[in-house]
Amino acid sequence: MSQEELAMIVGTTRQTITSIEVGKYTASLVLAHKIAKCFELTIEEIFDFSESDNEMKG
Amino acid sequence: MEIYKKKIKRRKYLLMLAALIAAGFGIFDVFYADSWLSGNIAFNFQCGLVIAGGLLSLVKIFQYRKVLKDENFLKLEYNKENDERRKAIRKKAGIPMILIMSVIILIAGIVAGYFNEIVFLTLIVTALCQLITGLAVKMYYTRRM
Repeated sequence: MSQEELAMIVGTTRQTITSIEVGKYTASLVLAHKIAKCFELTIEEIFDFSESDNEMKG
Repeated sequence: MEIYKKKIKRRKYLLMLAALIAAGFGIFDVFYADSWLSGNIAFNFQCGLVIAGGLLSLVKIFQYRKVLKDENFLKLEYNKENDERRKAIRKKAGIPMILIMSVIILIAGIVAGYFNEIVFLTLIVTALCQLITGLAVKMYYTRRM
């Protein structure tokens, strides 16, 4: 699936998908949920929260 | 999507009205404005602004016609308008307020221009600087996010 196709499905733009992929932009809960639903996975499986987990522990 | 389609149609009709008003203004300026008005810098600036607005309206009308004909383009336009990242960038850059203030300063400048040319020029330059600053800040946040 291309970024454009994903963007079309979840109701956003290709630029936003690119920014999310490179980590420049953090998706909102609603958008994260839409992306996870599109891939039939959970949010935790799609997005990497290890950095924020380390921040909480440290 | 039907609601959005109606919204686009409404915008198209409003833009058509704006283009007609701009055309009316242009005709008035060319054929009916007397020499005092035609020589006034504020009036000429105002006419230029209205005509530019009219031309931009025409461009947007053609864009909306294209969008209304194709469901794909309609969906793309809807996604672009409701994109959360775009909204976040606009919010961070303070674009709505910058636009409102710039329009107010422009109107004030045009009104003042009928009485004092220096005040007119100062206010117009202020509005332009404000718009350029807003654009620069928006570009910064676009790259950052």
